[in-house]
Amino acid sequence: MNAIEIRGLTKNFGSKQALKGLNMTVPAGAIYGFIGENGSGKSTTEKLICGLMPPSGGTIKLYGKDYTDPNVRSKIGVLIEAPGCFPNMSVWGNMMLQAANLGIKNAGEEVGKVLKTVRMEGAASNKFKNCSLGMKQRIGIAMALLGDPALLVLDEPINGLDADGMRIMREVLVDIAKDQNRTVLISSHILGELEKIATHYGIVRQGRMIKEMTAEELEAGCRTYVALQAAEMNRAKALLSCKCSRVEEDESGYIRVYDPVVPEDIVTYLYENGILVSEIRTDKIGLEEFYIDLMNERGREP
Amino acid sequence: MTNTKTNRIKSMLAVDFRRMFTTRFLYIMVGICLVMPILILVMTTMMDGSVTVDPQTGAETVMEGFKNTWQAIGSLPGEGGMMDMSLTAMCNINMLYFFIVVLVGVFVAEDFRSGYAKNIFTVRAKKGDYVISKTLVCFVGSALMFLAYFAGAMLGGAVSGLPFDTGTFGIGGVVMCMLSKLFMAAVFVGISLLISVAAKQKTWLSIVGGLMASMLLYTMVPMITPLDSGIMNVILCLAGGVLFSIGLGAVSKMILKRTSLV
Repeated sequence: MNAIEIRGLTKNFGSKQALKGLNMTVPAGAIYGFIGENGSGKSTTEKLICGLMPPSGGTIKLYGKDYTDPNVRSKIGVLIEAPGCFPNMSVWGNMMLQAANLGIKNAGEEVGKVLKTVRMEGAASNKFKNCSLGMKQRIGIAMALLGDPALLVLDEPINGLDADGMRIMREVLVDIAKDQNRTVLISSHILGELEKIATHYGIVRQGRMIKEMTAEELEAGCRTYVALQAAEMNRAKALLSCKCSRVEEDESGYIRVYDPVVPEDIVTYLYENGILVSEIRTDKIGLEEFYIDLMNERGREP
Repeated sequence: MTNTKTNRIKSMLAVDFRRMFTTRFLYIMVGICLVMPILILVMTTMMDGSVTVDPQTGAETVMEGFKNTWQAIGSLPGEGGMMDMSLTAMCNINMLYFFIVVLVGVFVAEDFRSGYAKNIFTVRAKKGDYVISKTLVCFVGSALMFLAYFAGAMLGGAVSGLPFDTGTFGIGGVVMCMLSKLFMAAVFVGISLLISVAAKQKTWLSIVGGLMASMLLYTMVPMITPLDSGIMNVILCLAGGVLFSIGLGAVSKMILKRTSLV
């Protein structure tokens, strides 16, 4: 069964159309990375799924039922933008309030458990307003985890965090993802982090879903390239550009040849032209490059 | 817990009551309601009969204070017409209807500003549950303010030495008058809630809008709830309170359904 099934979703803000018939399928148990540039419609889609705004058209089904069904809504945990907490109340107080809203009977035990999951058990007595951004995001996730939801919707949980905050958040997300029965929809700009946890991807552009794929499909779809370093980099690049259709230099100073070539042939070709190759390897492009390539391809489309 | 409407409303009510009774704001409001009538009754009694002279025209104005403690609760029989702008008609318990607007405005705006509304609407609560819970909790908060004002008025009357003469209306009239005013509070809660859910996190808009919307009805309150109120006044106010709460609640629910909550 699909956890989320969206068909022809549209959302208009006045004359601006934020979503233009978006389709989306999130299988139950997936960690779904929802990717797109700013203003592409990611957050709007998530807000619509969470019932925070009415759609202009289309259907949203959660576990086969209409998204407004209270029985299905109770299966959702959400972190959209900032966590909804009272700033002058303690972390524990805020959590207990949400637990009461959810009708959780052994609230204290449950709150303690989710705070431990997000490594926040030591900060339970802190006032929410005194918590750092990273802590607030983790509290938001803890709040979303209350009631053991089957579906978690997380909107940019990593953004704005420092390196340490990002590391802790990644660990938390990996822990959450371990639960095979839970579906996680997570949007993020930080594709490198997303790549480490996602099992499925959806790429949205200008209010439309342009690609949905599994991690395996991404792996298969990612082109291999040959990366090399040579004694005379500029001349080597010029020579390879004459022989191959796509040659680029990456930020680490490697020349990348994207054509399907054998590394030995490149070494021989450069050697014949008086250039010694000091290092050569084959590699695959990651999610980030795949995304950029896809965006560039679509950008060229009429 | 099973996800029935009753369970959802029960848990929402528990949270809303806990929130209301753990915020300082309610206690500040109730405190003001307790102290205000004491100050009003003592000060107006001290100034009663004092004469002010307009330096331009030489016209004299005699300051008329409260003649009876019960005037702080309602209009005496034969007084309190629709446009009665006298001190005793303006500075009595009816002022609290404006306090209700502030109470509801702040309470609801805080829900949206903090993101609490977002939390509850995404998981469990239906829009109707929220409206029902807020209406009931704000009504109880308003009732507390009215009771505090009543207690303050009794204290103020005793301190300032005003008579507690129930005259023609009797103590039964006072009880009916208070009941009518309490039920009438539900009407103002409904109006304030409607404006507040439309204004969302904008507290100032909730309060200004609520005050403006309540103004017309406010002028009719002294007529509907005088000190010689009978059972008909109570029934009228109860019916008005229920009908307004349900009707305006339905509109509030519709606004919540059709607008963005973030």
